[in-house]
Amino acid sequence: MNGIIVLFLALAVLVIVPAVDLAFAAGDEPAEYVDRRVIIWNLFFRLMTVAFVVGAVVSGTIIWQVWRFRESHPKAKPTPYEGTDW
Amino acid sequence: MVKLSGHSNWPEWIYVAVVIALMCWVGAEAWNAERLVEHVPEGAEIIIVTGQQWFWTFEHEDGTKEIGELHVEVGKAYKFEIHSKDVNHSFNIHDYVVLMDAIPGRINTVWFAPTDVGTHDIQCREYCGLIHYNMRGTLYVEEPST
Repeated sequence: MNGIIVLFLALAVLVIVPAVDLAFAAGDEPAEYVDRRVIIWNLFFRLMTVAFVVGAVVSGTIIWQVWRFRESHPKAKPTPYEGTDW
Repeated sequence: MVKLSGHSNWPEWIYVAVVIALMCWVGAEAWNAERLVEHVPEGAEIIIVTGQQWFWTFEHEDGTKEIGELHVEVGKAYKFEIHSKDVNHSFNIHDYVVLMDAIPGRINTVWFAPTDVGTHDIQCREYCGLIHYNMRGTLYVEEPST
């Protein structure tokens, strides 16, 4: 069942994305003189900001997890898999 | 949903939602930038750019041809139609973030509008053989003639 949902979701994305692309694509009206340097470098810096923030959050979470769930942490509790004679 | 792990899994769903939201945002930003950059203004002068081992030639609309250098005017829009005579090249004006592959049998297009008078490097950005490193040219951006 889940497989079918995922399949339909993937197919929907495959259809919807090109359709939206076509709908919002630049039309025949004359374009303004955009400065491609500004647009491209701004995009680059915005996406680099996103990338570094995501990187910091993900690596920070991993570091915190490793620190918090180490065996020697004062609040560490044994899991059922590790036995109960802690 | 049956929980097999015995713990709450809402943080995972939040994580998944955040990742999807970020991907949508990044995709939309990139898509919009591409849409703006690829939309050629009306009246852009077409310049036929031909790459071959190992130099660039340029042909203006009025038939003027240039080899290794390109003269354009400030404030005008130019659309490059990029050809290749032999192998893959890539036409690059680094200072104006113009970059487009030159592929034999294809015509790729890219446009730009120079904003300041000056000279800039043109170079090949796709390894195209022995003298690739020296497949260069110069872009001269000049005051408008009229």
